[in-house]
Amino acid sequence: MKDAASSTLIFRRLRLENWRNFTQVDVDLQNRVFLVGPNASGKSNLLDVFRFLHDIVSVGGGFQEAAGPQRGGVTKLRSLSARRYPDIVIEVHIGSHDLPNAWEYELRFSQDNQRRPIIKKERVSHAGVELWTRPDADDEKDPERLTQTYLEQINVNREFRDVADFFRSIRYLHVVPQLVRDPDRSIGRSNDPYGGDLLEQIARTPEKTRNAWLRRIEAVLRVAVPQLKELQFDRDKASGAPHLKGKYEHWRPQGAWQNEEQFSDGTLRLLGLLWATLEGSGPLLLEEPELSLHPEVVTHLPQMFARMQSRTGRQLILSTHSPSILADPSIGLDEAFLLLPEHEGTTVRPVRRFQQIVSLLEGGLSLPDAVMPFTRPAKAEQLPLFATR
Amino acid sequence: MTPTGLAGCFSAAVEGVLDEAVLRRILIDLDLGLDRVFGQRGKAFLQERIAGFNHDARFRPWIVVVDLDRDAECPAALVANWLPQRAHLMCFRVAVRELESWLLADTEALAGFLGICKILIPARPDQLDDPKQVLVSLGEKARRAEIRRDLVPRPASGRSIGPGYTSRMLEFVQDHWRPAAAEINSDSLRRCRARLRDLGRKLS
Repeated sequence: MKDAASSTLIFRRLRLENWRNFTQVDVDLQNRVFLVGPNASGKSNLLDVFRFLHDIVSVGGGFQEAAGPQRGGVTKLRSLSARRYPDIVIEVHIGSHDLPNAWEYELRFSQDNQRRPIIKKERVSHAGVELWTRPDADDEKDPERLTQTYLEQINVNREFRDVADFFRSIRYLHVVPQLVRDPDRSIGRSNDPYGGDLLEQIARTPEKTRNAWLRRIEAVLRVAVPQLKELQFDRDKASGAPHLKGKYEHWRPQGAWQNEEQFSDGTLRLLGLLWATLEGSGPLLLEEPELSLHPEVVTHLPQMFARMQSRTGRQLILSTHSPSILADPSIGLDEAFLLLPEHEGTTVRPVRRFQQIVSLLEGGLSLPDAVMPFTRPAKAEQLPLFATR
Repeated sequence: MTPTGLAGCFSAAVEGVLDEAVLRRILIDLDLGLDRVFGQRGKAFLQERIAGFNHDARFRPWIVVVDLDRDAECPAALVANWLPQRAHLMCFRVAVRELESWLLADTEALAGFLGICKILIPARPDQLDDPKQVLVSLGEKARRAEIRRDLVPRPASGRSIGPGYTSRMLEFVQDHWRPAAAEINSDSLRRCRARLRDLGRKLS
């Protein structure tokens, strides 16, 4: 039987050179990706590759913006371990269950002597056949062309617009409750990954869909926050600003309405998380979804995501420090990745490549039991001593 | 709704999420309530704390359910090892070999849920060596693609269950599974229900 999930595109392979703190990465990716590692091992930097691809094709973005001002320029992007001034390489393979090797996209770039990001190579293949590769003859004639990817140009990307659409469908979410409450402090009211535009996003959704989704979110929130009885969308009569209000059970018989400014951090994060799983169909990037949530709620996140994926086939890439998330016994040894800082930059390997982890799992340990000791700081026992003097 | 009085409202300790759902379903069926749930971190976690739960079972009703697995020859041996001195409000039950055999025991509901023929489901689930494995391989025959994908692991994952196994089984337990029908095929479930019924009568 045909279903939506089997034709959904996902990232199937990621290859990097000199991207931020990664000198070399080459990994096969599954439908779910769990990134674990010590603090500052680069989990967010790895997620940022996918955001970078999204930024290249997004409105108001483009290669110059994404590799320039948005990320502090090529020198900030290039791995510190890299010797001399090598190119940064991003190569992704994209496919679906039905068509595993649908697309390959490779981008190799550096900077010119005006410190502008400049393309050294751009290549697209479809079903294993190369469609084109740059620099081409036109680029030789006019090197200025190499400041823009073909991907972001609507007039040339017709043949491979699927790739651009796919990158555009990537969603990143790392809700900062303070920004949801006070959007004026966020970077902008659209496309803010930190949740500053969450209310605007909810407001933009057609009313019928919005109400249906809010009902579903309300049902989940009622489990996690039992005193919350009802969730509604509302607009400020005077300013038109969107608000969410929740009805809380209260000593008053009617209960009391509160808006998002009074919601707890946990409630807002969970709300953002639930909204993100409903909204969109492209890869969903989540940064430590466990933050502010009760461990019991966290325990259920992997299965909640599994149901989302079962329906849509949508890829999920998340970073986590949470043993509760990793405890889900269905997480494959090729779905969990360990990021370990080493002399030549951080390495990224699926846990199945760690012989000791595999053998501990065979011996009956759970995944977090076997993996977490790899991610703890080497001298964690020194931390309590910090306050002694 | 959960009964509000102390009597008839159990505290429980279980190995995992699915176990809690099964227990909840069993108790509702017997008109008993479930109050606090402890554990959900595997079997060893329970074994280390069973003395504490038992201590509290002098004051209020408790139910603890564990899988027999391959740890002992029979439930009695495991009980003797874990809990030599049972408090009078403690109901300690052992699923033979795993809780999944209780789910397999409602053949009709399971066949309907998976969209498979009833005769494919083993008639005596308590005698199965690895009920979870049997459930997963029945999942391979499920009529709907998304159920197959949820229950069956990809070979390269190195795991024994598929990505949505727990949530699919939760759905089955909550919406389809009937403890009263299942006990006909599973002696360990029948005993569990009988013991809970006794304890419930004692409390009312």
